[in-house]
Amino acid sequence: MNISTRKIVVAGMMIAVSAILALTGLGYFPVPNVTDDATIMHVPVIIGAVLEGPVVGLLVGLVFGINAYIRYLGLPFFVDQPAWVPVLVLFVPRLCIGLVAAWVYQALRKGNQGVALGLAGILGTLTNTVLVLGFAIGLGLLPAAIIGAALPQAIFEMVVAAVITIAVVAAWKQIETGRGGSSI
Amino acid sequence: MEFELLRNITIGQYIPTNSVVHRLDPRAKILSAILLGMAISVTSSLITQILLILLLFSIAKAARLQVRYVLRGLLPSLRVLIFLFIIQLLFQGWREPSGPIFVEWYWLRITEYSLRVVTLGILRVIEFFVLLSLLTLTTPATQLTHGLEILLSPLRRIGVPVHEVALMNMIALRFIPTLAEELEQIMKAQASRGGRVGQARWWRPDQMARERIPLIVPLFLTALRRSEELILAMEARNYVSGAKRTRFVRLGWTTLDTLTILLMICIYLLAWQIQWPAFN
Repeated sequence: MNISTRKIVVAGMMIAVSAILALTGLGYFPVPNVTDDATIMHVPVIIGAVLEGPVVGLLVGLVFGINAYIRYLGLPFFVDQPAWVPVLVLFVPRLCIGLVAAWVYQALRKGNQGVALGLAGILGTLTNTVLVLGFAIGLGLLPAAIIGAALPQAIFEMVVAAVITIAVVAAWKQIETGRGGSSI
Repeated sequence: MEFELLRNITIGQYIPTNSVVHRLDPRAKILSAILLGMAISVTSSLITQILLILLLFSIAKAARLQVRYVLRGLLPSLRVLIFLFIIQLLFQGWREPSGPIFVEWYWLRITEYSLRVVTLGILRVIEFFVLLSLLTLTTPATQLTHGLEILLSPLRRIGVPVHEVALMNMIALRFIPTLAEELEQIMKAQASRGGRVGQARWWRPDQMARERIPLIVPLFLTALRRSEELILAMEARNYVSGAKRTRFVRLGWTTLDTLTILLMICIYLLAWQIQWPAFN
């Protein structure tokens, strides 16, 4: 497999941004909610995927998944479960975020750029939420009622992800072309 | 709003104290970390977990690091962790088999099971964090990447881009402190222009989002700008992806490394097998 220099560097940088958001607490928004805070740690995955394609999305998602795995492995849900359970619930969904975001963006970019970016952000976030909660509920780790409680948080995350994705990519493309080249 | 964000970031920092631990081969350290990680995950016994924590602290001591400094890295996540564990305590109280019930008050029930599970969770989080910090505190990032790359290189035969992923991680590690500094600058710049930072109520996530987006978007843009510079620098030095590469610095393996690995294997086996009678 031949991954270009550009893809490696952008992927690495997005991982660094994700780490900063986590380490400084900037990526955590306390929500009146039963589960964790709303987070935007998946947004670098989405932006990397939109800018450089599904491979970068996959790579950044991989590292995000490893971090999520390490961070949440200690949770009481997983204490008496076999080893592959946390891998499926914590790790696998993060791989899909980048892929979904990249595909959505590539499919829609010929039309209105803003809409393409926003939908990439929304659907990428949705993939994360749906898969994580889906696996957790499907395996019986969480009650199905948690969907109701998680809904406001999920919507918040989707909106914020869309806003940030649109703002960053639009500004970046303008910078890259050097003129007002973006259609937003 | 505090401006010194780097103070509490211990992961990714390297502290050269030139101790025995520092001089171990990075491959040995990575394998040991994996073995210890497995030991932490595999046991549900509180006593074993406490022993493992003590082991980790003594490794820190051997590396001439202050335990206080290592634990400081947990501070930013502390609020989230506490919240999570309170919630867990509420949920797990109703799981059967519960064992002796300590508190029963309407919907709040604290049982032996829930206490055990939650404590185990806290201990595990701390242990994993300390383990990871120890690895990065005693091993410079370049060595870590190099060691990881060699360990994973057999995977190259099935098409896994080991070198590229290793490089990607090295870039990420190298830029975390740089981006943290940039973020501080952005915050100061916004504050000096009258941007209201730190005034959002924590129960108003919409206010918090409004406040933070002017910080997060420039952060991304700075990161992307630096990416362009780095790409240019790499290509100017004739870095071509997929080319065959040799190493300037070679890693050496000593007896101490072999002994360390054997020790970790023993610890893992003990953690796995030992069942403490009576209190667990």
